[in-house]
Amino acid sequence: MTILLAALTATVIAGAVVTVSAREARAGLLGLLVVLIASPLVADPLPGPLPLAARIAAAFLAARLIAIAIRDLGQPTAGSRLGWPVEALAAAAGAAVGFGTHGLGAPALGPAAASAAGFAVGVLAAAPIVTSRDVFRLGTGAMLLLSGGLLVRAGLGGTPSDLEQLVTAGLVVGVAGAAALIIRGAREATGTLVAVDEPGGPRPPSRHLGRGSGAGSRGGAGGAHPVGGEATPGASSGASSGR
Amino acid sequence: MTVLPFLAITFGAAAASLLTRGNRRVSVWIGILGLLAAAVAAARIGSSDSLEIGGGVLAGSEYLRLFALLGSLVSLALVLLGLVANSHRNAPGVLLAGIGAGVLALSLSDARIAVLAATAGGLVGILVTIDRPATARSVIVATRELRALAIAGLLAILATAWIARPLGDLAAVPDVFGFAYVGFAVAVAIRFGAIPFHFWAARLADAAPEITLPMLMAWGPAAFAVVALAWADQSVAPLLLPLTAERIAVVAVGAVSAVLGMLAAWIQDDLEHVVGYTIIADAGIAILGLAALDPAAWEPARTWILVFVTVRSAFAAWAVSVRAAFGSRRVSDLAGWAVRAPLLGVALGIVALAAVGFPGLATWNARTALVDLTLAGPLGIVVVLSGVAQLAIYGRLLYVGLSRPSDAVRAGQSQRPTWPEAVADRNVTGRGRVERVFERGSHAGGAALDVIWSLPGAFRANRGLLAGVLALAVAGLALTISSGGLGVVEAASAVPGQDAGPGPQPGDETGPEPSSFEPEASEAVPSEPPTSGPPGSAPPSGRSPEPSFQPLPSG
Repeated sequence: MTILLAALTATVIAGAVVTVSAREARAGLLGLLVVLIASPLVADPLPGPLPLAARIAAAFLAARLIAIAIRDLGQPTAGSRLGWPVEALAAAAGAAVGFGTHGLGAPALGPAAASAAGFAVGVLAAAPIVTSRDVFRLGTGAMLLLSGGLLVRAGLGGTPSDLEQLVTAGLVVGVAGAAALIIRGAREATGTLVAVDEPGGPRPPSRHLGRGSGAGSRGGAGGAHPVGGEATPGASSGASSGR
Repeated sequence: MTVLPFLAITFGAAAASLLTRGNRRVSVWIGILGLLAAAVAAARIGSSDSLEIGGGVLAGSEYLRLFALLGSLVSLALVLLGLVANSHRNAPGVLLAGIGAGVLALSLSDARIAVLAATAGGLVGILVTIDRPATARSVIVATRELRALAIAGLLAILATAWIARPLGDLAAVPDVFGFAYVGFAVAVAIRFGAIPFHFWAARLADAAPEITLPMLMAWGPAAFAVVALAWADQSVAPLLLPLTAERIAVVAVGAVSAVLGMLAAWIQDDLEHVVGYTIIADAGIAILGLAALDPAAWEPARTWILVFVTVRSAFAAWAVSVRAAFGSRRVSDLAGWAVRAPLLGVALGIVALAAVGFPGLATWNARTALVDLTLAGPLGIVVVLSGVAQLAIYGRLLYVGLSRPSDAVRAGQSQRPTWPEAVADRNVTGRGRVERVFERGSHAGGAALDVIWSLPGAFRANRGLLAGVLALAVAGLALTISSGGLGVVEAASAVPGQDAGPGPQPGDETGPEPSSFEPEASEAVPSEPPTSGPPGSAPPSGRSPEPSFQPLPSG
């Protein structure tokens, strides 16, 4: 592993630690940007200039989309409950595991640094994805999770082809766009980054299997989208007004 | 290359439709024209076309052509129904982007890239999941959707990457392939919202507009599943590994989804949830196709996927039409709907026939073949019966529809054709013969203008009728596909295979020892992967028929 790859790996991991542990959303976003820019470089050989440009442009666009959604955000994100030192240690452990198990039992076509970075980023993404009710953390967690997977993929299979880099760029922008929409929606609905069901509020008239069932309730007003009774016949109904 | 125009049209029109969403009318018409153009482009996709681009290959096939064509036509019908039902302003763009991403995923020959495209395509659904103004519930549904997509995408990325390289000694370890196989199967189950991964999908029906449900819950995940099938068939199945435990787990998910999905659909009061759970139930059968790991499952699994997404789209179109006509999605409010809207009654009957089928129909044959290959004995019978038992769902809806009309239904739209009184009375006052001739000609021109000017009013007055006709058309398309029309079975049995990457190669010295291929997939004898000959190439002489899923001649 070259020094450059080691430095890039450290940069990716540091960016991911900042992303999951910063309570200031802009700092978290900056960390995510670092991850998105540096992760395609953790490859041997390096991607060509055009695919690299596409990935970097996608990284900036992704960050920009989320930046728009958190504009004028006057409150901190939930941040990490464990604190950045714990996150950093967890990431270091993940990196060690990734480095040690590089190839997952077979000769790998990519560098061990990519596997190390991928495992570390994946470990850091787990908590926001699984437990977070903060939509900013969830969105950035989703981006980290996929970035981690892509890093492991680069470690196992070598540098992705130009077409794969292009599709990956589209995926990065897509995830960021989805996260930005959710963040904006949460701020619009609740004024915060946390969206929770109103306690005791009416539920859609459904009888879903398993937990969270709205069995028996008939009101539609609490539904995400109006159902019968609120709508009047015909296209001019207000059933979906505002859409 | 004939796939590129389709992709350019769908993605271009999707972007244009979303960018102009501030002007709803322009956005919708861009969507309609885009889908029309996409249908034309889809019909021109060549089965033997391929294009090398950026280190990857975009390949056409009959199955891809059919997927693109049906997806475009169904989406077009749904967008037109959206005009009647006043749907989400992002819906046309989402439908275009969704079908474009699905076709891109199916056309990519490298499974590692295809899963990225299929995952990206799923993300566009969030555009319609969050309403404007946003509600807390829609945001929660969207967060679940994003979480499910990210986890499914991660699993698929890792699964395809893990064994898409020379594996050395690891190729002899079944667990490696088992983990990868289960990972991808779980990813497919999550994308479909199969039970027990259905929480996000079940709530999606609360948040997403009706016309986009088929794209979010069926077409997008179906593309993902077809990629998974091709990957498993080329990377896992030919090795004939003893993946008994893994297959049992996947079969369990599929069977439980198929049975409980229908049960859940039966007890729903909300039409969108009925549609949603029937999609989940049908997805269970598709997952059985992934569990088979048998060459005999290749054609029925792919046939089933194409049939079920079309049939469920027709069911969704029917539900949209009912809500547009009567302003309610609750079954309990819709007493007498079939009396007021007989076209919709006929459409539901056709959907029921297409969904259940009977022996000889492609849908029936595919379902029973997949169940036979994965579930033996009483369990298999239960799963097949659950498919038949869905008649209870349609029977319940028809029973409600044929009862005495409720107030909501009486106040709703009738399907009786009407025409606004637009032509004004014009008296002929000319005295001379020539004068009267000119006057009558002038009156005829005026009357024609009156008629033309009344067309928008006529459209509004006949919304219920038009929605019924559209629902009927989609139901007819579904029945056509369900009966094996448009060459769906032939297309499902012959497509270019997906390149799963370098993978364990036949000449790999450290790979599993070659052995004779036996057609029974359950036999735990490792053998070499299939040779990657061109489509239609004959099997090597002196061998028994290979149990691989290599492409067959499409001609």
